[in-house]
Amino acid sequence: MLPHRNNTLTQPLALWITAVCLLLMSMSVPAEDKPVVYTVNYPLQYFAERIAGDLVEVVLPVPAGIDPAFWQPDSEAVSAFQQADLILLNGAGYAKWLSRVSLPRRKLINTSAAFRDRYLQVDEGVTHSHGREGDHSHTGVAFTTWLDFKLAAEQARAIAAALSKIRPASKNVFERNLALLEQELLALDSQLREMVATKPAISLLASHPVYQYFKRRYDLNITSVMWEPDVVPGAVQWSELKQLLKLLPSNWMVWEGRPGPESVARLESMGVGSLVFDPCGNRPVEGDFLGVMQQNLQNLKRAY
Amino acid sequence: MIEIDALEFAYPGAGFQLRIPGFSITKGEKVAVIGPSGSGKTTLLNLVAGILVPEQGRVACAGTEVSALADAARRDFRISSVGFVFQDFELLDYLNVLDNILHPYRITRALHLTAGVRARAESLAGQLGIDDKLRRGVEQLSQGEKQRVAICRALLPGPQLVLADEATGNLDPRNKGHILELLFEAVAMHDATLLAVTHDHELLSQFDRVVDFNDFRVAAS
Amino acid sequence: MDSLYIAWKYLNFSKARTATLVACVTLIAVLPLALQLLLAESERQLLSRAASTPLLLGAPGSALDLVMNGLYFDDEVPELISMAAVDALADSGLASPIPLYVRFKARRFPIVGTTLDYFDFRGLTVTAGRPLALLGDCVVGAEVAERLGLKAGDSLLSSPETVFDLAGVYPLNMKVAGVLARAHTPDDLAVFVDIKTAWVVEGLVHGHQDLSRVEDAGVIIEQSSDNVIANAKLVEYTEINPGNIESFHFHGTPGDYPLSAVITVPNDAKSATILRGRHLDGASDYQLVVPETVIDGLLANIFRIKHMLDAVILVVAVATVLALVLVFALSIRLRQREIQTVFRIGGSRLTIARLLAAEIAIIALISGVLCAVALLLVHHYSDELVRSLVIR
Repeated sequence: MLPHRNNTLTQPLALWITAVCLLLMSMSVPAEDKPVVYTVNYPLQYFAERIAGDLVEVVLPVPAGIDPAFWQPDSEAVSAFQQADLILLNGAGYAKWLSRVSLPRRKLINTSAAFRDRYLQVDEGVTHSHGREGDHSHTGVAFTTWLDFKLAAEQARAIAAALSKIRPASKNVFERNLALLEQELLALDSQLREMVATKPAISLLASHPVYQYFKRRYDLNITSVMWEPDVVPGAVQWSELKQLLKLLPSNWMVWEGRPGPESVARLESMGVGSLVFDPCGNRPVEGDFLGVMQQNLQNLKRAY
Repeated sequence: MIEIDALEFAYPGAGFQLRIPGFSITKGEKVAVIGPSGSGKTTLLNLVAGILVPEQGRVACAGTEVSALADAARRDFRISSVGFVFQDFELLDYLNVLDNILHPYRITRALHLTAGVRARAESLAGQLGIDDKLRRGVEQLSQGEKQRVAICRALLPGPQLVLADEATGNLDPRNKGHILELLFEAVAMHDATLLAVTHDHELLSQFDRVVDFNDFRVAAS
Repeated sequence: MDSLYIAWKYLNFSKARTATLVACVTLIAVLPLALQLLLAESERQLLSRAASTPLLLGAPGSALDLVMNGLYFDDEVPELISMAAVDALADSGLASPIPLYVRFKARRFPIVGTTLDYFDFRGLTVTAGRPLALLGDCVVGAEVAERLGLKAGDSLLSSPETVFDLAGVYPLNMKVAGVLARAHTPDDLAVFVDIKTAWVVEGLVHGHQDLSRVEDAGVIIEQSSDNVIANAKLVEYTEINPGNIESFHFHGTPGDYPLSAVITVPNDAKSATILRGRHLDGASDYQLVVPETVIDGLLANIFRIKHMLDAVILVVAVATVLALVLVFALSIRLRQREIQTVFRIGGSRLTIARLLAAEIAIIALISGVLCAVALLLVHHYSDELVRSLVIR
């Protein structure tokens, strides 16, 4: 009797091995000729590294454990960005610090420019205005575009095009690597769509409003609260949750990071299970972007 | 020293004619010339110095027939052999006393300004009692002092003939005699001859001879 | 030599007269030459700066005002355009846009809001400190640093637009991040900030405490679950530092934010032609000018004026020479007695001529020296003089 093979893992694994082989086959470049590319978040770093291999040095200067979306670089970090050959931006208002620093425009690549007409406006959060008739702030645009894996593939394409401009001699390599990466991202996309199709109507809670594109792409019924995984919600928040559950019964809370045991236990007492879907904005402690997303899918399966 | 024969001179268009049939001065003589204004006394000095050339006749000075010389030669003769002392001193207010004394040496190449000449100038100034004023401007001097500077200037080149045109005319009575005395001493010391035009009759007795221009036949139209 | 000695003594005795003569001769010699030097330098500066700027985009109106403000940071601010023009240019794929916002001042020096691309475009390098990095940074031109005694790490306050701008925006205390190497262009006299910092100076971008956590309730007019309205009592930060930089934010739409001009660097000649075609008279909401053409026109006018000035100076020179001749003639007349004395004691007409010639030579020599010194000074300071007198 043949051992049972998990078909959902074999295909991506094979693709991964192929990818690694191709990467090893690509020409290695002396360090001094390597263009340097800076990114504003880990998904873009991952995509760039997958596409460029060792032909390009890709840097994400955000320290581990910090959410890159809300990181504020100091002048030295900004200077490092300025020295790069290319700066990959996520777009959609990601990295608020961009509006507070000086970067050379000609080096900036907005990887989501191709679909900026499909950005999602965010209505959570508190705005402010100066005087009744004065200027007011908007809460902004949702920025976790890479959680829509189809959009993630478009971002990867934008990265490949930008890399080809700064290193035209390696265009073919970039395109080959891009094709592989796209395949994997679209595979993830398919898997998710298939999974959600099994129970399209289920209602999910999200601990934080970071799943807008995910929700739209995969047609999920997600309602967000404003909780942090490492902070035990207060009484008001628990009360608000109870009210919410009355309106929108849900059995699962999707956390962006590992929640504290107290929060998990209290939720379970309310009949709500906890699962982690890590947006992976920064470098994971273990594994890589695709690995984290695969794990996310596994975690999400518990709800389906 | 000076010999004039049958001299006739007239300024063009002036209607004035000077006629001197004969006139001479011996070396070392101090001669005064008197006469009414406009009688030609200054003209006589200019003819003797070679500044003017007679139409007729002859003017000889120190053995040189001045009237027969060309312009440049007359100038050279004048600068080396004749010293002029003027009524109004004719000093240059932009030069100091020493520079005024040395002035003739700076305006002609016939005279050469050397260290010896400077030393002689200072010595001459000392003889005339103005050696302590050599660096002063002439405007700081009295009338008498100015005339002494003029006398130094006239005598420095060692002229054989000194022509003084009303040299005491602008001096106060007290100074007139003193300056004339100084002039006589300086002329005698340099073994020169003095021909002086003067209106100061009280000084005439100090001259060796007095020539009255009325003695000459002067025709005026 | 003796003639020179006497001539020198005479001139030195009449110092006032001599000084006046020397001044007349010097002035009449220096004026046309100095004017020529300054105009040549003006032409060089204006043309080189204009020639190095391919295209300039701005609001319709005076092309000269646009060029003078955008290239030479002139005080006349043209009609403003918005960042949408920059985005449109970038999206066209035909050119690289470099926004400029030249409107405000810091201690009489223009604040130039722009991007890092400007420095690469103009070949400007930082000689002390670092380039712009954070909001609130400024980088000063070499001349600004010298005149204000600034170095990296110092502060520089922006100036209010008008003296009586009591209800306006507070001045921004900018941090001097770096000092630029001397470029011998108007950039030496400018204070450069990121375009976003220029908007902070204007008050379009500001920072203040988080209104959801404010302690003084008197600051809030109204508060709901999704919006807080604050009144003018809310204190806005006048300095940007690591402690408050994250609070700085935009109000309104960034595409609406103002600019005075956009330096447009076309990708190639074809792109330039296409762009110019798109912005022909009335064809767009903007005008796209070729700075070199605008400055050529300005110089043509300047040189027409110069020809007039040359004619005037020539007439004045002739009059001055005639006056000098008259002065000498009168001088000879006044010195008749001196001349007669010289004749009588043995000098010749040549002597007199030599004395007068020596006087003229000395005056000419002194004037010549003064003229040379004046022209050397003008030449040495010509680029600065032109920048302060002609261009700005």
